[in-house]
Amino acid sequence: MAMSTGGPGGQTADINVTPLIDVLLVLLIIFMVINPPNSKGLNALVPQPPPPNSPPEPPDRTIVVQVLQSPNGARSRLRINQLDVSWDNLGDQLTGIFKTRAERIMFVKGDPEIDFQDVAEVIDIAHGTQVVDKIGLMTAKIEAGQ
Amino acid sequence: MAINVRNEGAKVNSNINVTPMVDVMLVLLIIFMVVTPMIQQNLPVNLPQTNNPIRMENADKEDALVVGVGRDGSVFLGTTKVSPEDLTQKLKDRLATRTNKEVFVKADARAKYKFVVDVVDNVRSAQVDQLGLITEERKKKVPGHS
Repeated sequence: MAMSTGGPGGQTADINVTPLIDVLLVLLIIFMVINPPNSKGLNALVPQPPPPNSPPEPPDRTIVVQVLQSPNGARSRLRINQLDVSWDNLGDQLTGIFKTRAERIMFVKGDPEIDFQDVAEVIDIAHGTQVVDKIGLMTAKIEAGQ
Repeated sequence: MAINVRNEGAKVNSNINVTPMVDVMLVLLIIFMVVTPMIQQNLPVNLPQTNNPIRMENADKEDALVVGVGRDGSVFLGTTKVSPEDLTQKLKDRLATRTNKEVFVKADARAKYKFVVDVVDNVRSAQVDQLGLITEERKKKVPGHS
């Protein structure tokens, strides 16, 4: 008695995966092209004005880095408190100042007409030294106590 | 004598097979659904280049408060343009219901610092003291800062 078996050319039981793979490859390419937004940045603080009748802080402990506009479009100059420093020395100077300190707060103040890039770079250098914990942005209104 | 009648016409299917087209269309639909919100987030700002930025995961979240400052001093809250005077009130409204009062500033590298200071002052008036300055990481590390 002959058993009828599926001869050549009979139905195959395999699922056709080609379209599935097509779609998956397309999705893979899509997600390779879309790179997720990964924002990077620098932390900064904005000091709130002190309450009106609080004792004033000892002024000599405060470190303010000023970014001053240079005449005729040259690169802006830097000043730590009243001391002129160059861009290359800023990191070393800050390390020297804050190495021995407990409160590692510095303030950044900039002239109105300088580019934001310069201020960002000062904050960047300060973060890069690893000795400054907190960086505050000084504005004219804060200085006026508003 | 049997006449062989060709009867192939009965088997020809005149419908267009739309299944692959629908597949492609659905994939395209998904692509645009995913991509559109990502494109809208980008403001036309040229971010400052820095060496030591840190990851800011909160800035990528849907509800992050990102204040953009364009090169000409235009101020954006999210993607909508706002006037600097309205910024404080709008930020206050948005911050009223949340616990982490962190605001991100995405300022153009070439923007004048006075525009940035203005925004910082307005952000400060909304009782925010933690700022994130969004920058870009330099591809090539510059040892002594340009």
